Amino acid sequence: MEKEKFEIWMIEFLSGELDEKGQQEFLNFIENNPEHQEEFNAVSNTWEGIDAFDIPEPSKKMDDSFFDMLHLKVENQESPKLDWFQKLSSVFNTIQKPQLAFGMLLLVIGLSVGYFLNSKPDPKVIEVGNVSNTETEQVREQLVLTLLEQPSANKRLQGMNEAAKLNDATERVIEALFTTLNKDQNINVRLVAIESLAKYADTPVVRMGLVKSIALQESPLVQLALADLMVALQEKTSIESMKELLQQPDIDNTVKQKLQESINHII
Amino acid sequence: MQELTNNALMLKVKSGELDKLGLLYERHKKRLFGFFYNMNNNASVSEDLVQNVFERMLKYKHTFTGEGSFTAWMFQTARNVNYDYYRKNRIAFNQIDVTAVDYKMEASENTDKLLHQKDDVKVLNKAMKLLAPEKREVLVLSKLKELKFSEVAEILGCTEGAAKVKAHRALKDLRAIFLQLETR
Repeated sequence: MEKEKFEIWMIEFLSGELDEKGQQEFLNFIENNPEHQEEFNAVSNTWEGIDAFDIPEPSKKMDDSFFDMLHLKVENQESPKLDWFQKLSSVFNTIQKPQLAFGMLLLVIGLSVGYFLNSKPDPKVIEVGNVSNTETEQVREQLVLTLLEQPSANKRLQGMNEAAKLNDATERVIEALFTTLNKDQNINVRLVAIESLAKYADTPVVRMGLVKSIALQESPLVQLALADLMVALQEKTSIESMKELLQQPDIDNTVKQKLQESINHII
Repeated sequence: MQELTNNALMLKVKSGELDKLGLLYERHKKRLFGFFYNMNNNASVSEDLVQNVFERMLKYKHTFTGEGSFTAWMFQTARNVNYDYYRKNRIAFNQIDVTAVDYKMEASENTDKLLHQKDDVKVLNKAMKLLAPEKREVLVLSKLKELKFSEVAEILGCTEGAAKVKAHRALKDLRAIFLQLETR
């Protein structure tokens, strides 16, 4: 038998890879071949002797280190964001502290300079604000004029409210307000028109218009409101208008009494 | 069945369930420790190398296909870890020229009777340390009950027949060293 084949066969026998029949076959073979018997005896005990080697038990420390390592790997896998953050932190950690401090100082100086430069008023911004305000006034004025022409009394009252918001009324607005005061069919609208015009009573044209309007009013409520306004303004030119109104035959007694009181107050 | 379970566990580790490596560790830590201890006779170093094997298994988990034997794959890794350890530490092996040793077959009867005695086991152990590392490795792997020779061959990267021949010759060399130590 070839040497190599016998070596393979013997190892198969020793390692227990042969079945029962194979083992018997092998034993029969070596029994009939003394030279192979010698070799088999020589190595079989050595093979079994290896099993008798004393191998210590691994310590608990090995388990601890392994599970520490595994725990760390699992944690890193579960928190990739933290890992990313750690990587970023490590980049910053590589920056030396004096350099970082110097960088921070420069940043603070830059911010301070920027703050002081920005604190000065910017004329362009103010101009823009004025332009913006003027535009708003123009739009509002247009709105007032449009609303006063509306057939709905509510809309006209809304127009009066908008007129009250104007900082300075133009001639067109004053004219529209007087038209409303003298010609509007709704008494409430006329009353609100008095209030709006009272705001511009410092203007002679407005005062004159108000005085003239007294004789034109038919509603007692409007007449009383105008009389009160004249007293408040101490407008002496209004006496003539009020006397003219007193001479009207269908004047309300309350109004008559109020006008006389007002004339007396102004005189 | 056991191998299938090992494979399934390793595939789970591969797919991201890293905690499953703990089960594989519990199953194989002793035999891996035994492998390293037989190779270097140093318990502390062997424990470190066992840890290295599992770290490497995690690192290279993508290379595990699940088609072959898990144990073979694990011992291939262990073999590489062991090889790297020797290379890094530049450990010189105590090798003796076994070809120069007389086999002294005639002495076998007496020596075989003595082999089971404690002293003889010590001598055999000493002989094992003197055996060339690659031969020692073949013997240690061949003695692992869990490994078939087909798997040992897979680990060693040779045919099954070649692995058996290598094991046989390593065994004869071990015996030769043993006898030489006995006659001193």
